[in-house]
Amino acid sequence: MGESITFWVLAVVSVIAALGLVFSRRAVYSALMLGVVMFSLAVLYAVQDAPFLAAVQIIVYTGAVMMLFLFVLMLVGVDSSDSLVETIRGQRFWAVLAGLAFAALLGLGIGNAVLSPPKGLAAANRAGNVPSLAELIFTRHVFAFEVTSALLITAALGAMVLAHRERAEPKQTQKDLSRARFVRFGQLGRNPGPLPGPGTYARHNAIDMPALLPDGSVSPLSVNRVVARYEAAEGTLPPEVERILQEEALSERANGHVARPLGEEDGK
Amino acid sequence: MNGTIQAPTLEYAQLAPMLVVFGAAIVGVLVEAFAPRYLRSAIHVPITLLSLAGAFALTIWQVVKGVPTKPAAMGAVAVDGPSLFIWGTILVLAFVSVLLINDEDHFVAAAAAVPGSAEEEQALHEGAGHTEVYPLALFAVGGMLLFPASNDLLVMFVALEVMSLPLYLLCGLARRRRLLSQEAAVKYFLLGAFSSAFFLYGTALLYGYAGSIDLAKISAALGVVGGQETLLYIGVAMLGVGLLFKIGAAPFQAWKPDVYQGAPTPITALMASGTLVAAFGALLRVFWVALGGLDWNWSPVLWAVAILTMVVGAILAITQTDIKRMLAYSSIAHGGFLLVGVVATGAAAGQNSKALSAILFYLVAYGFTTVGAFAVVTMVRDAGGEAWHLSRWAGLGKRSPLLAGIFAFFLLAFAGIPLTSGFFGKYAVFQAAVAGGATPLVIVGVVASAVAAFFYVRVIVLMFFSDPAADGPSVVLPSRGTAAVVGVAVLATVFLGVFPQPVLHLAQNAAQSLFIR
Amino acid sequence: MELYVPILVLAVLAAGFAVFSVGIAPFTGPKRWNRAKLDAYECGIEPTPQPVGGGRFPLKYMITAMLFIVFDIEIIFLYPWAVAFDRLGVFGLVEMVLFIVTVLVAYAYVWRRRGLDWD
Repeated sequence: MGESITFWVLAVVSVIAALGLVFSRRAVYSALMLGVVMFSLAVLYAVQDAPFLAAVQIIVYTGAVMMLFLFVLMLVGVDSSDSLVETIRGQRFWAVLAGLAFAALLGLGIGNAVLSPPKGLAAANRAGNVPSLAELIFTRHVFAFEVTSALLITAALGAMVLAHRERAEPKQTQKDLSRARFVRFGQLGRNPGPLPGPGTYARHNAIDMPALLPDGSVSPLSVNRVVARYEAAEGTLPPEVERILQEEALSERANGHVARPLGEEDGK
Repeated sequence: MNGTIQAPTLEYAQLAPMLVVFGAAIVGVLVEAFAPRYLRSAIHVPITLLSLAGAFALTIWQVVKGVPTKPAAMGAVAVDGPSLFIWGTILVLAFVSVLLINDEDHFVAAAAAVPGSAEEEQALHEGAGHTEVYPLALFAVGGMLLFPASNDLLVMFVALEVMSLPLYLLCGLARRRRLLSQEAAVKYFLLGAFSSAFFLYGTALLYGYAGSIDLAKISAALGVVGGQETLLYIGVAMLGVGLLFKIGAAPFQAWKPDVYQGAPTPITALMASGTLVAAFGALLRVFWVALGGLDWNWSPVLWAVAILTMVVGAILAITQTDIKRMLAYSSIAHGGFLLVGVVATGAAAGQNSKALSAILFYLVAYGFTTVGAFAVVTMVRDAGGEAWHLSRWAGLGKRSPLLAGIFAFFLLAFAGIPLTSGFFGKYAVFQAAVAGGATPLVIVGVVASAVAAFFYVRVIVLMFFSDPAADGPSVVLPSRGTAAVVGVAVLATVFLGVFPQPVLHLAQNAAQSLFIR
Repeated sequence: MELYVPILVLAVLAAGFAVFSVGIAPFTGPKRWNRAKLDAYECGIEPTPQPVGGGRFPLKYMITAMLFIVFDIEIIFLYPWAVAFDRLGVFGLVEMVLFIVTVLVAYAYVWRRRGLDWD
């Protein structure tokens, strides 16, 4: 009873999610839909007395593969899309045809088998599903299990060989960076320290509140340029901040170089 | 829930060759991790060569000690006569290929750098190199050893992956013509993953049919389990697709020319010899041990595949203008000739062992010749790397008669001219096929051989009877390793062509016991 | 099915926590609206627009991803081993240690070759 309720609920959920996966226009939605489908599958496995398969489905597919999909989407760009031009003419038609024929063949073959009642499940699960699997892995298939580690090593080696670039010059340490900052201080007189946080010594610590110096005036270093730009566009820029920005612009024009907030060129 | 599980018995002595190779590969990875760059190569080469030689010695020791009659490692691995023969063959061929790999200027200095970028140039200048090729090659060889010896489909699948994964990687590491090499790696990887999926699906369906993935138990279930024939047939077909892909048989041959061309030539040599031998061993084991009782069903399909493979390989080879692609198509055609031997099985054990010994001999002969041919290819170079275009080979015989002569000799061996190893290989396979009642197949095979001979001779004519181009490729002085490889290959080809008896005898002995069940 | 009751309870708890945290935030947090607060990075770093068509992304990510998958698969083998540990005995322990040590070799390689540094 519980099994069939679970099945019918999940059947609806997973089919809707699968359709959403195919028809969604945004890659992130498709990926999340895929997550739903995988999760429903895991529950269906669990209901079918296959707890190990359910765990694998969640740990490897929903957990790892799904996250990798999202990671890749993030790196490639959410709004990127593929070119849909066929490079081989008629390829899609024949691919669909072959796919359908293959599905029909499999459907016939497996459907035939499924109609007869399952055999041997009780014997295989006698000691419980997972312990029985453990017994098989560590007796009959122990050699295959150990050889699998060769596969995992190869995967790690491959990732390193194909994706890792060895540094030609040593990486700059904190010490090197700090030394460079002080050299710049000596040459250009730039403040080597960090910028003051917004709102220091002030009423608020929100980012749009510049910090106040001990004498009560606004610290030019703590003015957040991004916020100030928005505020200037909306006309809500505090007069004191506006004055500071104007003074800065004037002195830049006089000195002939563009003053940038400290730290920006150090970090990158 | 209670009751301890009996610890499995592992016959370490029987598994020793594989364990040595895998162990050396892991040591190689540790070397990569902890040894400084300038020492790595100097440590890798002896480890790799010694482990291969050690594994070979262990294989010989087992033959001397007496061939085991029962599967090892709880029935997962079958170390029997054919396995041991194939192991010996693969280990020797791998040893020879590693000597070629040792010439490190075939491999890229920094695979992650964009091809043609300043970074790549800089890495090359600094003498950086991917010494990972040694452990990767060892992993691939370990997989090749396990693949033909696996006694159930699960182990076979793991072995297939262990063998293929490093090869996919190695294909993308050629130093010159980077884009071609990367393209080869991607094509090989995608198609290979696809074929692995077929193999796995077939395994699942066969498990559904027989209730076991054990080859012997599948064989026992044939004809006993009723009403599930569809599962069986679809499963066998899919398993066949996975296996035939690895040997590059005709409808699944498309990857071979691209991959053989793009891969670094020493890796091509390893694939063309080792992988082919391993894949044929596995194919034979599956079709004889597990599906021997079903040969009425699969042998017509294999007939068609064999004919198609021979015809496609021979005819498309004629149209090639690239030496590596030509050798790839020749390898496809040879796969077809070998399939003739697979088809030539019968109900009688005598016929089976005859066909088996013929195939084993053919594999040894072809393996050595092909490694030698690719070794020669590495030595004929232009300013931009190896000279692949056939027109560049024109007149090579006048410029460097020794090298051209050796290459011509290899080509004649491919064609199967008497007094070369190829002749006895083909003769043995075709003889077994005639005895097995596959005479039409043999006729196709002979015609395909004649067509193939045409393009081999064409290359020989090109080398010796046309004028060399003014800016023709130069023949580099081979390193000691490459010279040794060519020497060994020539000796093996001559020896197997003139005195085939010892090896033929060895193959017959190995095939005598057939595959154990 | 009783096996899964704790998991269900946990799922309900997790969902409840998520709904609670999101639901309560507007009522408890201070409200100083500013356009910058709707930016991707509230700290004021301007988000760099992605180039059209995706552009190139750092391949270094592959190493992290691959290492993650490798250890994920190791966990899959640990699970049945842990469940049947008392029955497997010393042999199971030895096999598992062997497996883990072998996979750790890959880890040592990636670590020593600075594959874990993100720079």
